[in-house]
Amino acid sequence: MSLLAGCGGVGTREQIIVNGSTTILPIAELAAKGFEERHEGASVLVSGMGSSAGIEAVSAGTAHIGTSSRDLKPEEESLRLTDVPIAFDGIAVIVNPANPVDALTVAQLRDIFSGRVTNWRELGGEDRGIDLVNRDEASGTREAFKKIVMGEEAAFDRSAVVLPGTGQVRDVVSRSPGAIGYISLGFVPPRFTNTTVKAVTVDGVVPSEESVTSREYPIARALHFFTNGEPNGLTKAFIDYVLSDEVQQGVVVDAGFVPVTERGGE
Amino acid sequence: MNGSRPTGVAGGLRLVSRQTQVKEWLLAALFFVCAFVAVLAVALIFAFVGWKALPISSEVGLGGFLAGTEWTSSEGKFGILPLIQGSFIVTLLALAIGTPLAVGTAVFLSEVSTPKLRRIVRPAVELLAGIPSVVYGFFGVVMLRPIVGSLTGSVGFGPLTASVILAIMIVPTIAALSEDALGSIPLGIREASYAMGATQWQTIYKVVVPAAKIGIVDATILGMGRAVGETMAVLMLVGGAPQFFNGIGEPMSTLTAQIVMDMSYSTGTHRTALFGMAAILFLISMLLVLAVRLLSTLRD
Repeated sequence: MSLLAGCGGVGTREQIIVNGSTTILPIAELAAKGFEERHEGASVLVSGMGSSAGIEAVSAGTAHIGTSSRDLKPEEESLRLTDVPIAFDGIAVIVNPANPVDALTVAQLRDIFSGRVTNWRELGGEDRGIDLVNRDEASGTREAFKKIVMGEEAAFDRSAVVLPGTGQVRDVVSRSPGAIGYISLGFVPPRFTNTTVKAVTVDGVVPSEESVTSREYPIARALHFFTNGEPNGLTKAFIDYVLSDEVQQGVVVDAGFVPVTERGGE
Repeated sequence: MNGSRPTGVAGGLRLVSRQTQVKEWLLAALFFVCAFVAVLAVALIFAFVGWKALPISSEVGLGGFLAGTEWTSSEGKFGILPLIQGSFIVTLLALAIGTPLAVGTAVFLSEVSTPKLRRIVRPAVELLAGIPSVVYGFFGVVMLRPIVGSLTGSVGFGPLTASVILAIMIVPTIAALSEDALGSIPLGIREASYAMGATQWQTIYKVVVPAAKIGIVDATILGMGRAVGETMAVLMLVGGAPQFFNGIGEPMSTLTAQIVMDMSYSTGTHRTALFGMAAILFLISMLLVLAVRLLSTLRD
C-alpha cells in the first residue's frame, strides 16, 4: 500500500494507518476523509479487523493507531499503549422486526446467550427456537457485552453463529425470524442498508444516545484510540482532529455515538 | 525425461563449440533450479509450520490438543476435535454432492456429448474453476443461506450451506480429471461392448466407467484435497461455531475457517495452536497426495 501511495506523485505523501474495531470504522473512515481534505498530502488508511487485531497491530508497529471498542485486557496493560477515548457507545440487543418480543432484562440476556433459554416462548414470544448470533473473539463489542451482560460466571453458548463484523450480524438478524444479536447502537438505524432490525429495551430502558449519556442504559462502553507511546506528528494531528468539536458533534453524533465531552471520563 | 544432460549428446565428438556446451549446461542448471523451487518451498513451509507448532505438545499436550472438545481461545481452551470433525463433515458432504455431479459431467463430455455441445459445456465447467472463492461465498450467503435457513428452521449457516457451495467448487477439478480417465480408455473396448449388443448406457456403466474407476477415484481424492483446504467460502458459510455436529443446518467450524478467524489477533499458545492446526491440514493433504500416488502405481 505504501508503495502505491509513494507512486501517487505529489511531493511526499505522509501516511498513517488506522486498524481495529469494526464498530469505530464509520467514525474513523469519515474522520479520515475530512482530515485528508484539511491536510494536503496526508493520507489515512483505515481498516477494521476487530479490536483485538487493532491492539495487536499498534503494539506490533503495523498500525499508528489501534482502534478498540473495549478496554485493554489485563495482559495488554503491559504493552504501554496510550489510551484516547474518542466516543461512548451503547450496545443494542437486536431481534428480527417480526419478533413480538421487545423488552428483555440483563438477566434474561444472560440466560439467552449462555444457552439456558432456547425458545422465544419462554420470553413471551412465539413458539420458535432462538438463533444466537455472536461476534468473533477479536470483537471488542463481544468483549464489552461479555463483561457487562455475561459477567464472570456465564459463558457464551458455543452453538451460536459467529460472524466477523457488525454489519453481518445486523444483516443476518434482519433476515432470520428467530435470530438475536447485539451491535453498536450506531448501527441500529438502517444507515448503510435498507434492512431493518428491532432494538429491544434492556431493563426497561430504550437504547439511545440520551440513555447512554445519562448512564441509564446498562450496556454501554467507551470507544478508544490506542497509540504506541505518546502520539506525535501526523498521528497526533489526526487524533486532535477526531477530538475536535467538528468531528465530535458531526461524524460521532451522526454515526449514532455519544461524544466524549458529553459523558465525561469513565 | 531420460535424465541425460544435453552436453552429453556430443560425447567426445566435439560437434558443438565449448561456448554452446556451457550455455546448454547453464540452461539445464536453470531448469533444475526451477523444479527445485517447488520442493524447497514445500520443505521450508513444512519446517516452519512444524517448528511453530511444536510447543503445542508441551503447552497444551498433544492429547488435549487433538482430542480436546472445547475451543475457546479467550479461556485458554485449545481442543480441536470439533474443528477436525467440522472439516471432515463439510468435506465429505461436499464430495457426496459434488462427485456424482462431476462424474456425470465427465461421462457426458467424454461419452455422450456431440462435439458442438462439448465446446459449450467444457469451457463452462472450466470457468467454474476460475471463479474466486469469495464470490462463491458471497453467492452462498446471499442466495443459498436464506433457502437453507427456511428449510431447516435456523439461521442457515452450517455444513449444508457450505457443502453445497463447496460441491460446485470441486466439480471442475473432479470432472476434468475424470474426463481424462474416461478418455484414456481405448476405443476398442467400447467397440467390443457394442459388438456384444450392449446399448450405449450399458457400455458406459458396465464397461467404460468401471475401466476408468481408479482414475475417477484419483480425481475424487484430489477434489477432496481441494475441499479440505478451501477456506474463504467455507468461512463465510459454515457459521464459525466450534461445536460438535448437531444438525446439517446448525453452525459449525472447520480448521481452515478457525485459523482465518483467529489469526489476526492470536498470540502465545493461541498462535501455536493455530500453527498446530496448519500442521494437521498439511498432514491431511500429504496423506491425500500419497493416496493418489499409490493409486497411480496401482493403475500402471
